[in-house]
Amino acid sequence: MARAAKSALVLCMDVGFSMSNSEPGQEPPFEQAKKVIQKFVQRQVFAENKDEVGLVLFGTDGTKNRLAKDGQYENITVHRHLMMPDFELLEEIESELQPGGQQADWLDALVVCMDLLQQETMGKKFERLNIVLLTDLNVQTSADQLDVIINSLKKAGITLQFFLPFPLDGEDRADGGGDGPGPSAASARPGKGLSSQQTQGLEMVKNIMTSLEEEDGLEEVHTFRDALEKLSIFKRIDRRPMAWPCQLTIGSSLTIRIVGYKAVTEEKVKKSWTIVDAQSHQRDDVKRETVYCLNDDDETEVQKDDTIQGFRYGSDIVPFSKVDEDQMKYKSDGKCFSVLGFTKQELIRRHQFMGSQVVKVFAARDDEHAAVALSALIRALDSLKMAAIVRYAYDRRSNPQVGAAFPCIKEKYECLLYVQLPFMEDLRQFTFPMLENNKKFTPSESQLSAADALIDSMMLVEKDEDGESVDVFKVNHIPNPQFQRLFQCLHHRGVNPDDPLPPVEPWLKRALERPQAVSARCQAPLQDVKTKFPLKVVVKKKEQKTSADVFGSSADEPDAKRVKVDEEMEFNLAEIAAGNITSVGSVNPVRDFCALVRQKTVSFDQACQQLTHRIEQLLGNRSPEYYMKSIACIQAFRDQSVSSGNAELFNSYMQSLKRSVPDRNLQEFWDLLIQDALTLISKDEVDGSTISKQDANQFLAFEQKEEVQAAPVQEDTGDVDDLVSVSYLFGCFNDKLTIYYICECNYDHK
Amino acid sequence: MAEWRQYYQNEDDEVEEDEEDSGGDYKISGRDSLVFLVDASKEMFIKSEDGETSNFDMTMQCVRSVYTSKIISSDKDLVALVFYGTEQSKNPRNSFKHVYVYHDLDSPGSQRVLDIDKLLGEKGAQFAEKTIGSGETSLGEALWCCSNLYSDIKLRLSHKRLMIFTCRDDPHGGDGAKDRQARTKAADLKETGVVIDLMHLTKPGGFDVSLFFCDIVSPPEDESELGLQIEPCRKLEDLQKRVRAKELKKRSQSRLTFSLGEGVNLAVGVYVLARTATKPSAVKLHRDTNEPVRTKTRYFHAHNGGILLPNDMKRAQVYGKKQIVMEKDEVDEIKKFDDPGLVLMGFKPMDRLKLHHHIRPALFIYPEEEQISGSSCVFTALLLKCSEKNVFALCRYIPRRNTPPRFVALVPQREELDQSQTQATPPGFNVIFLPFADDIRTLDAHVGPTASDEQVDKMKEIVDKMKEIVHKLRFKYKSDAFENPVLQQHYRNLEALALNMLEPEPIEDLTMPKVQMMDARLGPLAQEFKDLVYPPDYNPEGKPAAKPESGGGAAEKKPKAEISEEELKNHVANGTLGKLTVPVLKDACKQFGIRTTGTKKQELIDALPIFGRE
Repeated sequence: MARAAKSALVLCMDVGFSMSNSEPGQEPPFEQAKKVIQKFVQRQVFAENKDEVGLVLFGTDGTKNRLAKDGQYENITVHRHLMMPDFELLEEIESELQPGGQQADWLDALVVCMDLLQQETMGKKFERLNIVLLTDLNVQTSADQLDVIINSLKKAGITLQFFLPFPLDGEDRADGGGDGPGPSAASARPGKGLSSQQTQGLEMVKNIMTSLEEEDGLEEVHTFRDALEKLSIFKRIDRRPMAWPCQLTIGSSLTIRIVGYKAVTEEKVKKSWTIVDAQSHQRDDVKRETVYCLNDDDETEVQKDDTIQGFRYGSDIVPFSKVDEDQMKYKSDGKCFSVLGFTKQELIRRHQFMGSQVVKVFAARDDEHAAVALSALIRALDSLKMAAIVRYAYDRRSNPQVGAAFPCIKEKYECLLYVQLPFMEDLRQFTFPMLENNKKFTPSESQLSAADALIDSMMLVEKDEDGESVDVFKVNHIPNPQFQRLFQCLHHRGVNPDDPLPPVEPWLKRALERPQAVSARCQAPLQDVKTKFPLKVVVKKKEQKTSADVFGSSADEPDAKRVKVDEEMEFNLAEIAAGNITSVGSVNPVRDFCALVRQKTVSFDQACQQLTHRIEQLLGNRSPEYYMKSIACIQAFRDQSVSSGNAELFNSYMQSLKRSVPDRNLQEFWDLLIQDALTLISKDEVDGSTISKQDANQFLAFEQKEEVQAAPVQEDTGDVDDLVSVSYLFGCFNDKLTIYYICECNYDHK
Repeated sequence: MAEWRQYYQNEDDEVEEDEEDSGGDYKISGRDSLVFLVDASKEMFIKSEDGETSNFDMTMQCVRSVYTSKIISSDKDLVALVFYGTEQSKNPRNSFKHVYVYHDLDSPGSQRVLDIDKLLGEKGAQFAEKTIGSGETSLGEALWCCSNLYSDIKLRLSHKRLMIFTCRDDPHGGDGAKDRQARTKAADLKETGVVIDLMHLTKPGGFDVSLFFCDIVSPPEDESELGLQIEPCRKLEDLQKRVRAKELKKRSQSRLTFSLGEGVNLAVGVYVLARTATKPSAVKLHRDTNEPVRTKTRYFHAHNGGILLPNDMKRAQVYGKKQIVMEKDEVDEIKKFDDPGLVLMGFKPMDRLKLHHHIRPALFIYPEEEQISGSSCVFTALLLKCSEKNVFALCRYIPRRNTPPRFVALVPQREELDQSQTQATPPGFNVIFLPFADDIRTLDAHVGPTASDEQVDKMKEIVDKMKEIVHKLRFKYKSDAFENPVLQQHYRNLEALALNMLEPEPIEDLTMPKVQMMDARLGPLAQEFKDLVYPPDYNPEGKPAAKPESGGGAAEKKPKAEISEEELKNHVANGTLGKLTVPVLKDACKQFGIRTTGTKKQELIDALPIFGRE
C-alpha cells in the first residue's frame, strides 16, 4: 500500500512588540496570529496525518537558532523542531507563547526557517515543504538578500504562505481555494494607515510571492481573520481510495480490464471510545468478561467451548455448527464484475439503490485498448439511456451483489457508476391508502396555490448575474457536523480537562439552518400556508395501558396478573404444612414469598430480601416477559408489607429501584408500575411509614420526565453499555447481591 | 485492501441499528396473527381442466410458502390452518361439527411445514380424504370456531386476519338459516377487530362474489382500496401474490414531526421499504442439551476484581499523544444537535439530485393523520406541487434522540397502479440520504485517451458496434427479480436440517450471468468488437504486470527433486529407496521414462527396480 504523502511545515510567527499594538477595541495582531496557529495545530492533531510541524518565533527576547553568530540572526527562536504536532505543542502555544519585547527582520526569520526545513528533512521523504509566516511586517528589513533568498526557496522547492493582519490590496481578496465553505470575511483593517515599513514590506511580499508562483502566488497571502474563519472548520476526513482491479465481462469472450474506486461512502470517525477506569483513567484497569449461562434459576455458567451455534427456524432452533455452516454455505467464485444484461435507466428507481457506496469504474491504467473498449460501452449506454445490470463480487469471501452500472461522462473523464440494487428479500411491498382523489385529504385550489407559492419562495437555487443558476445550499460542501462537534469537544476537554463541554460553534449551527435569505423570503407564504391548512395536534386520551396490555403479548406466563389476584386462594394448607417452601424460588416467587411470610419460618426481613433478589434477577433480563413477573412480585411485596405493618423495607427498596431506573434503562418497567399504581406505602396505610399520602402520590410524578427518555434508545448499537446495565443491577440494592456476584470474579469482599 | 473489506462490516452495523428502531414499535403493539380457513369440500379437490393442480393443492402450496416465509421473516407471528366442510371434526372443545383445526394459532415451525407437506399433491389429496374428508358445510360454525381460536390466545395480538380459501360461491346451497348464521358470526369476528379476506379460486361458470361472500368479508380499509378482487385466482403465483400483499402489516419505523417552519408542523410516519436482508445472527446453544444460553458481560477492576458500575467507568480517546476523558453522558451529549424530526430547508430542481450522491438505502414517508390532523392535506398538496414543478424538498433529518443530523432529499412519488389495479408504487416521498463533504472521496480520475480526427470515425464505429451488443442483451429490469443466493442457500440448509431432508434443495443462483444464452444472442458481435478494439496479441485477461513465466516456477523446483542415475542405482541396490520422498521418486520415474500409474510410495518404489535391473 502506498504511503500517504506527507508534508513538512514551519510556522514562523512574529512576536515582536509591534504585534501587540492595536487600535482600541481591536484584538492585537499577536492574539490573532496566536489563534491562527492554535487552530491550525489543532486541526493537524485531529486529522492525525503524518505531517510534521515546526515553530519558529521572531522578535523574542532571547535567541536560539543554529545560524545565530556574530550578532546576526538575533532574537529568533526555534521553539519546536520538525515533528508531528501533539497536545504538548498546543499546550505550549497556549501557555508559553508570549509577546516579545524585541523586533527582528522577517527575512532573517525566513532564512532560519529554510535552514530548519533543509536540515531536518534530510533523508526523509516529504511531498511538500512549506513555510507559513505570520507577521505585521512592521520592521525594517534589509532587502539586499532578497534575490538570493528567492532563488534558494525555488531551488529547495519550498512554498510560502503569508498571514497578515491586513489585506494585500486594501480590498477583499477572494480566498484561495481553502477546504471550507467559510464565506470570505470582511477585511480586518483598511489598507490605509500602514507604516512605511509595512508598505515596503508589502511590496517585498508581493515581489517574493509573484516570483515564486507567478500569478497564483498572491493567493497565498491571507488575512488573520480570514484564516481563522477557515481554520475553525476541522479537516474533513480524507481517505485515499483503494484501487480494485477487475475485469468487466460480457458473455464468455468479451472482457475489459477495469479498476474500481469507492467514490462516495458514509465516512465514520476513525477512532472509537475506549472504556477507562473513572479514577485512574487507565484502560487496563477495566477488564471485560463475557460469560455464557443457561436460562435456569441459578443462571448456571457454561464454558464457551461447551456451546455450539444454532439458527432460528421459526419456533425451532436448528443446531448448525460453524464447520457445517462453512461447508454448506453459498460459495462465490471470486471477484467479478459480470454483465447480466442491459436495461433502460428509467427502470432502475433511485430510491431502490442499496448498499452504502458508489463505485467509480475506470479502464485499467495505462491500457489504451481497455480505455477504448470501456469508453465505447460508456458512450453506447449513454446514448441509449441504458445501464448495465451486473453481478459484483469484491472477492472470494464476500457476498455477491446485483447492481447497476450507469454511464457517466464528464468534461475531464468518463466512467461507470456502480450502485448496488436490492434483492427480492430486501424489498417490502407495503400498500398505502390513496392520497390523491381521496375526498378527505384533497387540497382545495387555494391550498394548492399556497403550497405552490411556498415552494417558489423556498427555492435553494438562485440565478446569479450571468443567469447561471447557483445552488445556495450544497450539502456535499458541508462538513459532517458530527465530526466537527466531536473534535471541538475533544479539543476543549483536552485543553481544559475540568470544564464542561462547550456549546456548538455558531458557524456550525448556522451551516445547519435554512439560509437567511430563504427564511426571510418564505415568511409570508408560510403564514399563508398556516392560515389555509388547519393543522391540529390530536390529543389522545391517554390510554391507560396496564402492564398486561403492553406486555401480555410476549409473556411466557399467560396472565401473571390473574395469578397474583388469585394468589390467596391458591394456597392450600397441605402445601404449606408440608413445609416444602423454604426460600423464594424463581418459578413462582410470589407464591413462595407469600408462603414464607405466612409460615414465618424465616423473618419478614429475610423473606423480603429473598424476594427482592428475585426481582433484581428478573429485571436484569430487561425483557418484557420478566417485567410482568417482577410487577407481581412487587405487588405481593407491597401487600404483605401493608398487612404486616412494615413499610420501611418496601419503601426503601422502591426508592432505590427508582434511582436505578435511568441507568438500567428500566423506564418501560417503571411506566408499568405507575399504571398499576404501585407506589410507596403511605402513613395512611401503615402507621410506621414516614411517607405522607401526598409524597406517595408524587412518587409517580417522576414519570413525566422519564417518559421522554424512554423514547427509542440506543443509536449506537453493540455499545457495551447495553450490557453494563445487566451487571449494574447486582450492586444496586443490597450488599448480599453484590457479594454473590463478585464472588464469581474471585474477589473476596471480606 | 482493508478499506474495501470495511464496507461489509459497516453495513452489518447499519443493519443492526435499523433492527432496533423498527423493533420498538413491534414489541409494544403485539403480534400478528393469520388464520387460513380452507374449504375442504369435494369441489376443492377437482383438478382443473389442464389437469395440473386442484384448488386444494394450490391452496396448500400457498399456505406452505407463507409458513416458510413467516419462519424467515417474522417467526413471532401466529398462524393457524382450519378446514371447513370436512367429514371429520377436530376442534378444541369439539363443539363444532365439520370443522377441522389442523393447526392451532401458534408460531410456525418445522413440524408444521412437514404437516403441510403431507397434504400436498396426489398423496396429499388421499391423505386429506382419509383424515379430514369432505362433508357438510357450515361456514358459520367454522367462523365461530375461528373466533374461539382468537379468544383462546392469551397474547396481545396487534393484527388479526382471516383468509377464506374457497371455490364455492354459495357454500350452503341456498340454506338461508346457515347463510344468516355465517353472516352473524362474520360480523362478530369483524367487531373484535378481525379482518376477513376472501381468496376465491376458480370455479366452472365463474365465482359470483355478490351471491354470498360480499356480506362476509371486511369492507376495504379505506375508500380508496379497491375492495374485492373480482377475478378469482387461477395460478399459484397470483394467489401467492394476493396473499402476500395482505399478509404483511406495514409498520412505521418512527413517527416524526415534519416542520415547514414558523410553527407549521405535520406528522409523518417513516417506513423502510427496502433494507438489506442479512442472515440472522446465530444463537448460542449448550452443546449437551441444545438449550439456548444467554450471555452476560460485565466489567470488573483488573487489580481488585471489583465489579465496575457504569459510574466507575469513563470513555477516552487519544489524540496528539494525549488521552481525553469524558463521561458516558457527555459522549451522548456530543451527538445531540436538536430534537428528532424533519426540518424543511427549501426546494431544489430534480436535476440537482446527483445519481452518485448515495450513501444509504432510502426511506419512505407518509402522513400520520392520527398525530396531527390535517397532515394528509398539506402532505398531498406538497406532493402534488413538488411533482408538478419537478422539485424535491431538502430537509434536515434527525431520526432519534442523540443522533447527529443528516440532510435528505424528499423526492415526490405519486401513486401508480399496475394492470391488475393493485398499487405498484405508493404515494408519498422517498427519503434519499445526501452525503456530507467528508463522505465524498477525492479520486484522481483516469483521463482517457483523447481521440484524433481519424480516430473519431473509428471510435464511432466502435461505439456503434457496442450499441449493437447492448441492444442484443436488453432485458426489462425488475427490482424483485433477483434472489439473494447467500440467504437462499442459508435457509435451504436450515430447512434441510430442520425437516430432516437428506440434502438441501438446490438453489438457482440468479446473480450468475447466463453466459451461454448471452453468447448465443451475441453471435459474432463479440468477436467483431474485439477485432475492432484489441490488437491480435492483446489479452485482456492477462495480468497487467507480467509475472515470471509460468515455466519458471517449475524449472526452479526441479533440481531439488532431481536425483542422479548413480544415486538412484545405489538406492535400488541397497534397498533404501524408501528413504526418498514421494516427489523425488515421482521425478525419478519421469526422468528415466518409467511409466507409473500409482501415486503411493510403495507403487513408485516397486516401479523403480525395473530400471535398476536394466
